[in-house]
Amino acid sequence: LRTYRPQRSKAETVKEEMMMKRYITLASLALCLGFGGAGVSDAEALKPLKVGFSLDTKESNLETAWVDYLKSEGEKQGKAAGFDIQWTINVANADPTRQAANIEDLITRGVDVIMARAFDSGAIGASIKSAKNAGIPFITFDRGSTSGKPTEHVGGDSFEQAKTAGEAFSEILNKAGVHGKCIELQGMLTDINAVNRSKAWNEVAKTDGQYETVVQVPTNWNPELFLSGLTNALNAKPEANCVFAASDFAFPSIQAALEKADRWAPTGQPKHMWLATNDLLPAAVKPMEDGYIDVTTTWDAYAHAKEAVRVILAIAKKEDPKCGPDGCLAKGRLATPATIKDMTNLWSRDYK
Amino acid sequence: MIDRGKLSDYLLQRGFFVVFAAVFVFFALSTQHFLQVGNILNIFSAMDPLAITASGLALVVMSGRLDVSVGSTAFLSCAFGALLMLWTGLNPVLDALVVICCGALLGAINGFIVVVLNVNSLIATLSTMIAYRGLALALTDALLVQLPAPIRFLGNARIGPIPVDIFVMLAVLIPMHLLQTRTAFGRQIMAMGNDLAVSRKLGLPVDRTGFLSFVLSGALASMGGILTTIQNGAVSPFLGSGLEFTALAVVVVGGISLLGGRGAILFSIIPGAFIFEMIRNGLTNLGADPYSYRLVGGVVIFAAMYADALKSGRYALRRSA
Repeated sequence: LRTYRPQRSKAETVKEEMMMKRYITLASLALCLGFGGAGVSDAEALKPLKVGFSLDTKESNLETAWVDYLKSEGEKQGKAAGFDIQWTINVANADPTRQAANIEDLITRGVDVIMARAFDSGAIGASIKSAKNAGIPFITFDRGSTSGKPTEHVGGDSFEQAKTAGEAFSEILNKAGVHGKCIELQGMLTDINAVNRSKAWNEVAKTDGQYETVVQVPTNWNPELFLSGLTNALNAKPEANCVFAASDFAFPSIQAALEKADRWAPTGQPKHMWLATNDLLPAAVKPMEDGYIDVTTTWDAYAHAKEAVRVILAIAKKEDPKCGPDGCLAKGRLATPATIKDMTNLWSRDYK
Repeated sequence: MIDRGKLSDYLLQRGFFVVFAAVFVFFALSTQHFLQVGNILNIFSAMDPLAITASGLALVVMSGRLDVSVGSTAFLSCAFGALLMLWTGLNPVLDALVVICCGALLGAINGFIVVVLNVNSLIATLSTMIAYRGLALALTDALLVQLPAPIRFLGNARIGPIPVDIFVMLAVLIPMHLLQTRTAFGRQIMAMGNDLAVSRKLGLPVDRTGFLSFVLSGALASMGGILTTIQNGAVSPFLGSGLEFTALAVVVVGGISLLGGRGAILFSIIPGAFIFEMIRNGLTNLGADPYSYRLVGGVVIFAAMYADALKSGRYALRRSA
């Protein structure tokens, strides 16, 4: 079929084209305004919240998990609270001076909230003061400060963590009819969590009397010192029948030392060295499943991140985050070879 | 009658060994298990990676330069090797060779910056120290890379009662000692350490020798890293962290002058590394307060540095006299 089109003059055609162009221009303008309007209303709905996060190191997947969880929780909780959380993250490579400079950078950038995982609990106070002088709230994350009071502290309860592990360990030894003579592998002595864990572990030892610490070995959180320290201690205290590790991140080194001393055997075997640890980090998951570690308390990256974002948003909204006297602390969960398989949201096992 | 000048000279020259003997006897008498053969072997075994790394660094120090990147070189080369083994299932022996080549290459980069670009060795290796560690952290995603189970047993391998890593240390240190004391290369290193400008005027190949000293330092750092990795069963993000300073302290404590031109590898590195590990071991045997470890270590380093400064001062006076 052919469509009938009447003949038109050239002037009429030009006029028609011009009208069409006007309609297109107007329609485009309307569309742009429409979308633009929508964009403006979105931006108004989500208020930008600039958060600076100063990490001391990024040397294990705990830090990687924290950062990922903070971002995902920030998006989730932030949107629900009407905030668009924009993260600026810097890493100090285990250098307290570098960390202080990094925090100064965050202050200069004009972030709304600063959160820091201190490399040195005793040195972070200067940065807290600096941020406060600039009117920026300061949250210590994971490691508290011993040199100045932050706006809030968020982290795990390191004292409670080691206490829970110690009490459960006492029970296990009690059931086995063993009096524990333990080698304590301490963490870095400038880390408040390491200090708290040592205090709690030895407090339970005094209270329960089921085990005692025969030697304390400083490891400075260095796997090479876990190996040489435990090797030395096993030689110095041949009567030792248990080990408490302030953290199990360097478990391969602990395993190497026990293998060297011919004490690497799962629970129930005569050569078994009773083992209590903290954290249940990825290197410790398999030894725990296989029965080499008797008890541990988790260091829950997801719970920490979730709590940190909640506190950041509360501070941004000028609300009371309702923390306890020691801060907003997420408790760890007790794990044994019998319970680990049924534990859900275990980041060290499930997080890739 | 004892000549006071001679006695003070003797103590200054042998002061380290007097302190060494005193500390050894103290630990032996005050603890129950320190003097056991097993414990002494443990000390030797624990110090092996440090001694191997320090022997490479010693060559650079003797030439009058510094290499503070040895810890990061060990970490980067071992991280690369461990990942290569995990990804491709490469034969462990070949993998070890790749790691050593990687260390030599990283050392060559240092050598190029210092010798060709004429950058101060401290500044050059300080920057590569940071860069190499950053690269290694990015490569491993800062994760602990565990060795495959069949390799792990090597960490505790023994020939009779003696850990294999002690033989490895000797197999590295003896040739290094001969290289330093019996070859033209070693004499050139010492000449450079005494006076670089004069050595250049005399027509010695100072650039080539200096470059090679960095290559050797890198290769030996990676060998030390391999030993640490095998002992620990994993490459951790902490591998080599602070090693540069401990290795430097071992070099100086053992009697190699920071100003260059003096010292002998075998007789400096083994006692230097041994005293560091002995102090740690002895304090654990004593059940000492954990805070005292750093204090005692610091005092030993200070005493050695001070003795070195005094000795250097005397040499300078004698030379000018």
